[in-house]
Amino acid sequence: MNSDKRMVLIVEDESGISNFISAILTSNGYNILKTERGREAVSITASQCPDLILLDLGLPDIDGIEVLKSIRQWSDIPVIIVSARGHEREKVEALDLGADDYVTKPFGTSELLARIRTAIRHRQKDDFGSQPKAEIINVGGLTIDYVKRIVTVEKKEVHLTPVEYKIICLLSKYIGKVMTLDFITKEVWGPYTNEDNALRVNMANIRRKIEVNPAEPKYIITEVGVGYRMVDEI
Amino acid sequence: MKEYNSKTNNSNELSEHTNSDDKKEAGRLKIFFGYAAGAGKTYAMLDDAGEQFKSGIDVVIGFIDPHTRPETLKLLNKLPILPPKTLFNNDIKVKEFDLDAALKRKPHLIIVDQLDHSNAEGVRNKKRYQDIEELLNAGIDVYTTVDVQHIESLNDIIREITKISVKETIPDYIFENADKVKFVDVEPDELMKRFEEGKLLRKDETGLEYSFFSKNNLRLLREIAMRKATDRISSFNQRKNKTLQKSINTRFLVCISPSPSSAKCIRWAARTSEAFHAPWTVLYVETPESMKFSEDQIKTIRSHMDLAERLGAKVVTLGGNDVAAVVSEYTKYSGITNIVIGKSRQKSIKSLFVKSFEDKLISLLKNIEIHIIPDSDNAKPYKNKHAINLNKNLFLSFNDFAKTFVILISATLFSFGIRAAGVGEQNVIMFYILSVLIISRITSGYLYGILASFLSVFIFTFLFVEPYYTFTAFQPDYPITFIIMLFAALTTSALIIRIKTKASLAAERERRTEVLYEINKKLLVTRGLDNIIEAANEYVTKLFDRTSILYLEDPVNGKEGIIKKSREDKDASYMMSKKEKAVVHWVFVNKKRAGNGTDTLMEASGFYTPIISQGNVLGVLGISCDKGNFFNHNNRSLSTMIASLVAMALERQYLSYEQRRILIEAEKEKMRSNLLRAISHDLRTPLTGILGASSAILENEGMDIETHDKLIGGIKEDAQWLIRMVENLLSVTRISEGSMSVVKTPEAAEEIVAEAVSRIRTRFEGCRINVKVPDELLLIPMDGTLIEQVIINLLENAVKHTAPNTVIDLNVKKVGDTAVFEVSDNGLGIQKQDLTHIFEGFAVSKGKSSDSSRGMGIGLSICKSIIIAHNGKIQAENKKEGGAVFRFILPLKGVKYE
Repeated sequence: MNSDKRMVLIVEDESGISNFISAILTSNGYNILKTERGREAVSITASQCPDLILLDLGLPDIDGIEVLKSIRQWSDIPVIIVSARGHEREKVEALDLGADDYVTKPFGTSELLARIRTAIRHRQKDDFGSQPKAEIINVGGLTIDYVKRIVTVEKKEVHLTPVEYKIICLLSKYIGKVMTLDFITKEVWGPYTNEDNALRVNMANIRRKIEVNPAEPKYIITEVGVGYRMVDEI
Repeated sequence: MKEYNSKTNNSNELSEHTNSDDKKEAGRLKIFFGYAAGAGKTYAMLDDAGEQFKSGIDVVIGFIDPHTRPETLKLLNKLPILPPKTLFNNDIKVKEFDLDAALKRKPHLIIVDQLDHSNAEGVRNKKRYQDIEELLNAGIDVYTTVDVQHIESLNDIIREITKISVKETIPDYIFENADKVKFVDVEPDELMKRFEEGKLLRKDETGLEYSFFSKNNLRLLREIAMRKATDRISSFNQRKNKTLQKSINTRFLVCISPSPSSAKCIRWAARTSEAFHAPWTVLYVETPESMKFSEDQIKTIRSHMDLAERLGAKVVTLGGNDVAAVVSEYTKYSGITNIVIGKSRQKSIKSLFVKSFEDKLISLLKNIEIHIIPDSDNAKPYKNKHAINLNKNLFLSFNDFAKTFVILISATLFSFGIRAAGVGEQNVIMFYILSVLIISRITSGYLYGILASFLSVFIFTFLFVEPYYTFTAFQPDYPITFIIMLFAALTTSALIIRIKTKASLAAERERRTEVLYEINKKLLVTRGLDNIIEAANEYVTKLFDRTSILYLEDPVNGKEGIIKKSREDKDASYMMSKKEKAVVHWVFVNKKRAGNGTDTLMEASGFYTPIISQGNVLGVLGISCDKGNFFNHNNRSLSTMIASLVAMALERQYLSYEQRRILIEAEKEKMRSNLLRAISHDLRTPLTGILGASSAILENEGMDIETHDKLIGGIKEDAQWLIRMVENLLSVTRISEGSMSVVKTPEAAEEIVAEAVSRIRTRFEGCRINVKVPDELLLIPMDGTLIEQVIINLLENAVKHTAPNTVIDLNVKKVGDTAVFEVSDNGLGIQKQDLTHIFEGFAVSKGKSSDSSRGMGIGLSICKSIIIAHNGKIQAENKKEGGAVFRFILPLKGVKYE
């Protein structure tokens, strides 16, 4: 964690929730900005340049999605969506519009902090890492060597088909971030595919190759109704 | 005298127009009515339209006869004109009113001259009045002109007066139902002067001759026209005063025949019943003779029926041998008070012996008034009837020849036998007479009987009369024998032919009745829209041997009709062409039949009947009339009957859908209220805990750390319980959004399981769950979030009911076409009394306080709702070795699991 404090903008109209979030974040060394209104959120973002935005979708004045859209027109500030459970479509829409991640209400403190850390780390990488990406990525026992195009689990090489390799590379490129099903499918098979189940089938195969128990995956977890995420810390 | 509808109307019109804007249902029709061309109808119409235009109303000229006088045309200048449609008919350029452009332009008021005009071939409607009806239906007001001689019911009167027949007529109802009729009058002298001055073209265009405009004629026409206009006013007044009482008093029945004079009867009845405000029926009786009618005669009957329908009669066709008997039966049962029949003056010898039709009627019906309309015109079609009959009954067939000869030869052989046996010769004659009878019986037509009579006489003379083997007959009684034989043959043949035609007539009618009955029976037991359509299509193709198509929705909305090809049609795709769909659309909009054989869009391949119930078009039934075999009147009325049967079935189906929807709604409502009751009770407990603990912390500052933590821990636990409860409830609302069903997408079983397990792991740290999924990927159609909730609930249930650190197994496997999920534990198992209603949850009181069910009561019942919404099945049982198993089964292919 950097010595200079990170600034987080909390856009949330429920004072109870925003109070508790700010309490957690302050005690974990973040600076806090708070607003209840969407329009204000946009103007604060423009004037204060926070390092991260926690955005609730249900706001009193304008829809959280609209806030996201207008911010994304001119800024790449990481945005984490806070949404209620059971609104997968909303989440997918937000992710497709450029949100970095989402947390589902009710969420635990540790979960929220982990998501914030990941999002900020990503941004840093993007900012300073326009140089070539790392040649090797390590998550727990999983290693991906981009140069040799080799994937190993616990030092044992795993044989992946080209499509499977493409999927795993894509997920590792955005490690820690949720990739929507639609996004992955388009990246791997191109924009005009209608292979709805191909991704699931390939994912099942990947899991059988890299996970100990595909029903309890460690490396690539499913966000039901939304997409897949490769975990960045085990 | 110039205007019948007083002049004040004009000033009121503006306000009326604004009124009609609010409820733009149907447009209003104003007819400028005159008694002869040149009276100034078009001038008056354009003048009026000009006034309307000036006051800011959106007026468009739809069509004006290009031969109009220059003074009149001058009025046109100011008004916007809709360009006419140009058609090429046999290389002749024809200009016609462009109906579609007018409908598209949708002005407030449109001017269309000459209501009586017949459209050129290639235009959608045969007649202009049909165009105007469409305009009115579309909510456009119309101004038009018409002369008195074009009114259908007056057609024959005018013909008698002027000796000129006018072919182009409009049905009376158009005139009667017009919102306004303005009578445009001019003195006959003035009109004659106009002719002489040459202000009017001599009207070759309308096909009227100059003699039409003799002064005397004009005076008569003027009188008729005025009377018609006053009639309309008085009938309007009467209609306003007494509503529907009229129908009880008088009922007219017109009996028609193929004679052209029947049209006269029909017109007379139309006029009279209009005057009496009485309903009237046109009856045609099919007799065995009617099977022998020529094409022309059938066509005449059809045109009579069409005429009657146009004039507003109900048309009935009945079958029977004796016309008078049938008519009297019908009269008795349908409450007819007056019968109209036509009668020709020619007498035949037959009429000396046979009671005339009217005499029979009078003797059968003593209290009925009978009106006889003399047939002054002619009686020509009756004479050549016999020639036609003979032709029809003289056809040859090899089979019948063979039969004739076989029978004659065997008769001859028998006769030889008799002679050899020495029995009297008179028996030989008997044999031949018998064989002639048999031949007449088993062959069709008169020919064989006659032939057999001749041959019998010849053979008999040749073989059995002395001198043998010559045709010389000495005895004078043989010619008499011959004549007897001939008579026997002819009478038998005539009898047989009569019986046969009657039988085939009866069979045809029988078949129709049977099919209708069968359709009705079938439709009564058929459930579901698709099945109804299929049944209807099947019967229509069977009945008519034609391709049938049924639309439940206007094809403009993108829905296809359901088609059934007849056996004879090799390719029925022509019935689904764009052109046909346009006809279907027209039928949906105008609620009238159209297509082949009708007056509208007659170039279509199909005949389309609307399926109407309570004024709504539920669908359209199309029947192919391709290859020129048009639909006759019988078939048409049959198809109308079928349409009404289908309408009934469809309506019943819609009602049952509605009923089912209400039932489901009620069930949902019941479930919700039960849930709400249970929840409000269950919520109170943890909320009380949270409230108590938090206020204890806030109010007692000097609390020791241990109690403080304990209280906070309690709050957290209660809050978590509440969250789980809310998540469960959320699932229920997801189900209820639809009608007890869920939106299913294929999901990988392992992914759902993994998510559920990871949630349980974070909630209960240190619990041991053993998960097994099949090696192959299992894609199951489901709502992932809901199934995840089910697994979470089952796992949570297992964790709660087992000692810490016991292993819980979660197993997913594929069994046939289903996926089976199993959660088993090694706990205490389920108590026997709970086993039966463990999934009933909140709905059943368990005799325990509801606090004790806290945690899982609602959870399991929600599991059941979710699984049922997925067409699956959920079970709970105890293992033999101890512990409980919860199992749910989901179908893999969307099939319902039984």
